Amino acid sequence: MTVIARRLAGHLARGLVMVLVVTSISFVIIRNIPGDPIAARYEKLIEQGMSPEQAERATAVLYGFMPKGNLWQQYLDYMSGLFRLDLGESLMTPGAQVTDVLFEATKWTVLPVLVGTLLSFLIGIMMGVYAAIKRSGRLGDILAVSGSLLHGIPQYVLALLLGALFTTLIPILPSGGTADIMFEPGFNLGYIGSLIEHAALPVLTYALASYGGWILAMKSSVVTVLGDDFILAAELRGMKRSIVFRYIARNAILPLFTILALSLGLLFGGAIFIERIFNYPGLGLMLIDSITNRDFALMGGAFLLITIAIIVANIVADMLYTVIDPRVRSGEEAGR
Amino acid sequence: MAVSVETSAETPVEPMPESAPKTAPGVRVGGLSVVYKTPAGELPAIAGIDLELRPGTITGVVGESGSGKSTLALSLLNAVQPPGRIAAGSVEIDGLGDVVGLRGEELRKARGRHIGYVFQAAQNSLNPLKTVGKQLLDLGRSHGVSDLRALVREAKELLGRMGLDGARVLDSHQHELSGGMRQRVGIMLALVLNAHLVVLDEPTTALDMITQATILRIIREVHEERGLTTMVITHDLGVVAEVADRLAVMYGGRVVEQGPTHEVLATPRHPYTRGLLGAIPRLVGDIDEARALPGRPPTLGTVPREGCVFRERCALRMDVCETVEPPTVADGPRLVACHAVEAGGAVREESA
Repeated sequence: MTVIARRLAGHLARGLVMVLVVTSISFVIIRNIPGDPIAARYEKLIEQGMSPEQAERATAVLYGFMPKGNLWQQYLDYMSGLFRLDLGESLMTPGAQVTDVLFEATKWTVLPVLVGTLLSFLIGIMMGVYAAIKRSGRLGDILAVSGSLLHGIPQYVLALLLGALFTTLIPILPSGGTADIMFEPGFNLGYIGSLIEHAALPVLTYALASYGGWILAMKSSVVTVLGDDFILAAELRGMKRSIVFRYIARNAILPLFTILALSLGLLFGGAIFIERIFNYPGLGLMLIDSITNRDFALMGGAFLLITIAIIVANIVADMLYTVIDPRVRSGEEAGR
Repeated sequence: MAVSVETSAETPVEPMPESAPKTAPGVRVGGLSVVYKTPAGELPAIAGIDLELRPGTITGVVGESGSGKSTLALSLLNAVQPPGRIAAGSVEIDGLGDVVGLRGEELRKARGRHIGYVFQAAQNSLNPLKTVGKQLLDLGRSHGVSDLRALVREAKELLGRMGLDGARVLDSHQHELSGGMRQRVGIMLALVLNAHLVVLDEPTTALDMITQATILRIIREVHEERGLTTMVITHDLGVVAEVADRLAVMYGGRVVEQGPTHEVLATPRHPYTRGLLGAIPRLVGDIDEARALPGRPPTLGTVPREGCVFRERCALRMDVCETVEPPTVADGPRLVACHAVEAGGAVREESA
């Protein structure tokens, strides 16, 4: 146990350093993007038909929220704020704390993407096992081909197709947003039902888009394990089919846990295309908006969140291995 | 026969007796042929093998790679892997009947409980994610062993018998064991359910010499102690000489010569057996005395369809060898399949 704790502590220390390095780099990059929030806002207002004087007056208020001092000064301010979990204020919605904006968007991303990922993982794994066992039969072929096809279709194409199918051809689902405004947000049946209805298409798209990858990965993993000597050995020792199946499944799923953990980390990046197409106010959409509006603080916050999520996912994947694969565990204990 | 199999498969499976018969079973392989499906059609890996494993003996089966010896070993468990299948023949095992006719649960229960199988060097015959002990329990549960504690005790005793710390080994994963230890674990798992027919497929390949010797000693000892019928598959004549009572020499999917080990090794009759022995370098004398057999063994695709399978490499090749497959002829305790030997003369005089 102490070995695992020491391993975890090492990971956390390295992760923290990594976060600081990545944050510094992204800080420099963000501040060097051409254009600034005020110019971006100004141009937008002009496009909307405001006169230059009006637009100037409207953007003047933003100056109050712009970071002060030279780049070094700004960097030091930003980093010291970071340690107090203060990521500054968003410029897009002046006065709003970046942390609040992030939290709001995270809410709309994590749950749908998490559900979508886990759903596609579970179904993909099961279908992958089946496709591997029946790989010389027609059904196995069909499953594998369906996996390749779904894996090959880009997410945004899939999103448009599903959107067209379920909102226009068979109009049973709403086409965008998070819930109908007629319902009072809160813990009531109408609101929750509406939430689920609105989340259905993004979740479905996400699940279908990643399902292909899981089925293909699991199939090849199972086929590899099926060829392993210990499976034949278990059969020749007269092991029950259910036990042999567990041997196969557990060994085959092992390499997929890494991919799962990493994709859970990536989910904080949001599903940009899907959120855009279904107008779902998640992290992906927020990130795009923050970039077009040159909202430095929000961009930095989003990048920080993605960085932390991926580093944490890596640590989780590694720690998971220590728990489920005895070979990794004893490699660590070798020096005892 | 097919009918009886059908009905017994449908009726609820009777509870297995707690232990298999205490006596060594005899095994009679009759006319066994195994074919493998290839793009060029079904090709025979072994063809019309007759072989008897006498109760309580160790039979060694030797042959080059591709001679069909592993296929023969798997046939004893009716476990020929696709794309191969048993095309003809029977494998009668005392107490089990013809295993070629066994299917489903009946076959599964025969494996492990009646027939123990030890893998080639057993390097990878264990689930890497589970300890040996947990896999032992899986084995026990698979065979309806009610007293799992007794099973563990038995396993520890067997491992101790083979010079290992039973408790520690059961608590280990495969990667924590050396090759020799894994092989002994493999033997333990083959014996722990009290199987009295044990098939060892190249049990010492890939092990160092000292470990080889230890494993062979263990095989011999356990065989005698438990009263087993044992079959050892190997390409190493030295292994056979060390452990086997009887020896069967395979070539191109046929048993070309069989008989008591010491007789076959002392006075080999079949030109292939003679060639094999002649190819072994001696410890004393000129190394050039060892003479390799010319040519190469046939593969699945190049085994001649008719005539003698060995004729391409044979010094005693005659016209009849081209067209007629040599019948297996008894000569005292010896069985030889060779036209030249049957014709008498040259071979016997030369070896006398």
